Amino acid sequence: MVKIILKEITKKFGDFTALNNINLKIDDREFMALLGPSGSGKSTLLYTIAGIYRPTSGRIYFDDRDVTEVPPKDRNVGLVFQNWALYPHMKVFENIAFPLELRKVPRQEIEKKVREVAKMLHIENLLDRYPWQLSGGQQQRVAIARALVKEPDVLLLDEPLSNLDALLRLEVRAELKRLQKELGITAVYVTHDQAEALAMADRIAVIKEGKILQVGTPDEVYYRPKYRFVGGFLGNPPMNFVEAEVENGHLKVYESKIPVPAQYRELIEKLGIKEVLLGFRPHDAEVIKGIGEGLIGEVYSFEPLGREQIVTASIGGTFVKVFAPEGEHFTFGEKVTVKIREDRIVLFDKKTERALEFLEE
Amino acid sequence: MNKTSREKFAALSFFLSPMILMVVLFYLVPLFMTIYISFTRMRNWNVEKYITEFVGVYNYQRLFYMFQHDPTFKAVILTTVVFVGITLIINVFGGLALALATFFISEKPASTFRLLWLLPRMSPIAVYSLVWYYFFHGSEIGTLNSILMKLGIISQPIPWGQIVPWGAWSIIIFVNGLVGVSFGMIVFTSALNQIPKELVIAARVDGASAWEISRKILIPLMKWHFLYVLTWQFLSLLTTYPHIFLLVQWDLVNRDYGTTLALYVFNTAFGRGEQDQGLAAAAAVILSIMGIIGGYVTLKVLQFEKMMKRPRGDF
Repeated sequence: MVKIILKEITKKFGDFTALNNINLKIDDREFMALLGPSGSGKSTLLYTIAGIYRPTSGRIYFDDRDVTEVPPKDRNVGLVFQNWALYPHMKVFENIAFPLELRKVPRQEIEKKVREVAKMLHIENLLDRYPWQLSGGQQQRVAIARALVKEPDVLLLDEPLSNLDALLRLEVRAELKRLQKELGITAVYVTHDQAEALAMADRIAVIKEGKILQVGTPDEVYYRPKYRFVGGFLGNPPMNFVEAEVENGHLKVYESKIPVPAQYRELIEKLGIKEVLLGFRPHDAEVIKGIGEGLIGEVYSFEPLGREQIVTASIGGTFVKVFAPEGEHFTFGEKVTVKIREDRIVLFDKKTERALEFLEE
Repeated sequence: MNKTSREKFAALSFFLSPMILMVVLFYLVPLFMTIYISFTRMRNWNVEKYITEFVGVYNYQRLFYMFQHDPTFKAVILTTVVFVGITLIINVFGGLALALATFFISEKPASTFRLLWLLPRMSPIAVYSLVWYYFFHGSEIGTLNSILMKLGIISQPIPWGQIVPWGAWSIIIFVNGLVGVSFGMIVFTSALNQIPKELVIAARVDGASAWEISRKILIPLMKWHFLYVLTWQFLSLLTTYPHIFLLVQWDLVNRDYGTTLALYVFNTAFGRGEQDQGLAAAAAVILSIMGIIGGYVTLKVLQFEKMMKRPRGDF
């Protein structure tokens, strides 16, 4: 079990900068999610931790040990892939035993350890099968077993659930989280699925274009995004953004006016900022029929989801999505007021798209 | 025949007829002609006179007799076995080694390196053979001789190709082996590129060396390609003769221990002096039977039928 420190990691492939000055600390026994869209560099970062890629510059530490130049096999990491990468010509037992065989562990001990880890992952009865005889979920377990059998210090997971169907994903998600805590292993988890990151991780690092935009607990990145991108990437549906002008203590959005939220009053005055982006989450607002206090718009569409519905309202041409309770009936084009919970509003600088409270960082 | 099966038959004929036509025209017809000629006294291309003169299995008896008593023909058979056997091993394992070696180095030098190995196959047969003709030439102008003499290893030029049997064999094996290696290399390289890179990464993270990755992961996953290259190269080595023909023609290698059965067939049917197509045809039939048996055995041993897939869908 180790803590991982990445110091000013840059990785270039030719002219392309995949990772740009990455600084990240991952605590011992922590479950860290690397979240970002495809091509953001999150997998590259994972493979750099594994030692598959050597950083162009910067250092990697496992505890106090500098492992930047250490080959993958001496880092004692377990790796799980999106496509599971099971060896197709080996049976499940041989697949799991392979890392131990390479370490020249005695046969008896291999037998014992493979059975142990297989039991932990509920695949004892599959040891005699070939990977192609298994379902996706079973293959996934075998891949995790293979990564865990050598008792790694760090478990690295590269989108391990993306190839599973939706229901199974939810199931494995819960189990994987529990397993990580039980084993007390440091885990780094790459995903493009924000729900997965929020559900499983202790902390999330949001990555875009090779840079870490924000690191924080699920609550922090969800409710206090540092960038418009972070707010827009997390949540389903994601955060809403509307342009607003600051006018003597009020935010003017199209033809509506709402007071500047209490938590921003001082800051706005101090910064003297005039144009902002107003961000809020779909469940932090309500839709009220008719014209009232709030952002005034009209219903563009509505989508019942069973327990609730998503109402899309057009506020002067900008669409916002808000959750509304079931049973309330809307009609297309109907005038509505979107009333936002003041304490949940996040304001961003319109130019840099940074949250105002982080503007001076 | 009901309507759908008639439609199916029409579609089948449409797609298969060009290939069937080609197989019949360029493979089956010559094959049956060869078998037919092997039972006649056909010689000197005097078709009118000999084409109907049946001699039964006389030509085969002659071959058998030669095999027992004629040292020249014995040499041809022995040369064929040694040439095909050793060149096959060099081609298949050399190709495999090159593919694996280039797999573990970065792409640019790897493709340059592979291109280099393709040169023998790309250059015209005569030009390529000429290069080795000068290289192995028996006089002091031969590259090999002049190098060895300059280094003081030998004092007299050595006529390499006339040292029988191994001198002659080494040269024909070397020259053909160099051409054949690139085939295996290309097939194995493309096979390696099909293997998901995660398998290799996983093995590396688990501590496997390049050798262990090759032996335990990559080679087992290339079984089918190995079988394909093995069978293909076996058949093509059994029937190839252009390079050997030139090297013998130019007197670089010994005539007896430089001639394989395929070249023997060619020489007997089309060579200088008396041409004996009846005998050549019989030898060609024997060669074909060897090829069929050899090919069948390799396919059987490596379980070719498992590789066959059922067509997708029922219609």
